[in-house]
Amino acid sequence: MLEVRDVTAGYDGVPVLRNVSLTVGKGELVGLLGANNAGKSTLINVLSGIVPVMSGAILFEGQDIAAMSAPRRVDAGVVQVPEGRLVFPQMTVRENLLLGGVNSTARPNRSRALEHVLSLFPRLGERMEQKAGTLSGGEQQMVALGRGLMAGARLLMLDEPSLGLSPLFVQFIFGIIDKLHAEGLTILLVEQNLALTLKHADRCYVLERGVVAVEGRAEVVRDDPRTRAAYLGM
Amino acid sequence: MEELLQAIVQGFFVGSTYGLLALGMGLVYGVSGIVNFSHGDFVTLGMYLCLALFSAFALDPYVSIIVVLPVMTLLGAIVYQYLIRPIAGRHLLMIIQLTLGLSLLLQNALMMTFGGQPTRTPSMIESKLFIVGDVVIRGSHLVACISSFALAFLLYFVLQSTDVGRSIRAVQQEPRAAALMGVDVGRVQVMTFAIGIGILAIAAALLLPGLPIQPNQGLRLTVITLLVFVLGGMTNFVGIMLGGVVIGVAEAVGTIYMTEVLGQLLPYLIFIAIMLFRPQGLVWRS
Repeated sequence: MLEVRDVTAGYDGVPVLRNVSLTVGKGELVGLLGANNAGKSTLINVLSGIVPVMSGAILFEGQDIAAMSAPRRVDAGVVQVPEGRLVFPQMTVRENLLLGGVNSTARPNRSRALEHVLSLFPRLGERMEQKAGTLSGGEQQMVALGRGLMAGARLLMLDEPSLGLSPLFVQFIFGIIDKLHAEGLTILLVEQNLALTLKHADRCYVLERGVVAVEGRAEVVRDDPRTRAAYLGM
Repeated sequence: MEELLQAIVQGFFVGSTYGLLALGMGLVYGVSGIVNFSHGDFVTLGMYLCLALFSAFALDPYVSIIVVLPVMTLLGAIVYQYLIRPIAGRHLLMIIQLTLGLSLLLQNALMMTFGGQPTRTPSMIESKLFIVGDVVIRGSHLVACISSFALAFLLYFVLQSTDVGRSIRAVQQEPRAAALMGVDVGRVQVMTFAIGIGILAIAAALLLPGLPIQPNQGLRLTVITLLVFVLGGMTNFVGIMLGGVVIGVAEAVGTIYMTEVLGQLLPYLIFIAIMLFRPQGLVWRS
């Protein structure tokens, strides 16, 4: 479904990612691991069209989307749930979710998508008219995930969904991720939490200083000594 | 007492249009973080466009809105796209310099085209008067007040209840998240600036009947708009309209009860007093 070919990208002409290649198959849950500043968020922002590509190709369902604008990529179904949730704090939960479905592809199916989101997160149903900025961190993560689903994601990219959450909420959010995976949604999961990602992902890539250091099935990546080295900077 | 009541009513009516001017500024500030120091000059430009249409085709200022509104909206989009956008996000002083430069450019262009003498544009309802008890209400003030509140309400409705409005508010609150949800942030910013300038076209036509205009009046209007904008809490709709009324009433009362110079100072004195006790604006809540 997604193929990243030899992508080099960065900020102000300085590359952060160098010749990164990866694939995500339809219905797969792929983990993207690495220590701080390994380039995980940069890669996900490159895929979203927030950070421009310097060289290489990004194929989504066979079409090169490297030059496509960020809004058009969302129309195509490439949706990111950003790190830190980034809910619209002065807007209600309902408005946040509706805004998720504002793109041209998702808009016609907004009512059905809203029902699906509320079935996954019944608690949001009780908070619909509450300002998102007044919710707890866990509830904000539900809004952020729900908003991503409202956008009609065909490739859902989750950037650190466990960041800053209590263990109970982390368990709940990963339960939802598993459920979405079981429903056939393609997911690219960016996480620092190695154990959690290896437990849930089908395959993983480990980034180290902007290059892919290790790749393969979760158990292979777990047993590879380079994975530990990438985290510990050895 | 009758004079005071008359001043308050007149100030309320004119102040509502000041509120409308500040809503335009608030909209642009909320989405782009830009305070446009040529705001008042765009109002003046709108007034002169109405004057030109009156001179050429004897069009009433209210009718001229049909032409001036799209022209000013388009101009707003062009100014944002080609002048402001390239430096948006840079140092605040650069934006201030640019919009002040634009102010001077507009002033001098109007001076070259229309001359510097004060000019009036008549309107079909300029001489209409309504008498309620001891208060005389000018027809143009009544139209300005009703139209300003109606437009403010419409704008509020659009921002709260439509996808376009929600996209504008999303860009205002979290531009990055808005982009990730498929909102074209750049387009929203251009559109919002254009709407902000379009609002000024309507405000210009509403303020114009019976008002002598001069090419160099823009800065005074910008300063009044800034007072209202800050009093209202920058992006609070109710606060901005209330701020407009406070400044309008202060101006009217000052003109009647004080010497001309002191009367003109009264809105600024009230502004300073309110800022000392409520620096967060009139209706801001934590």
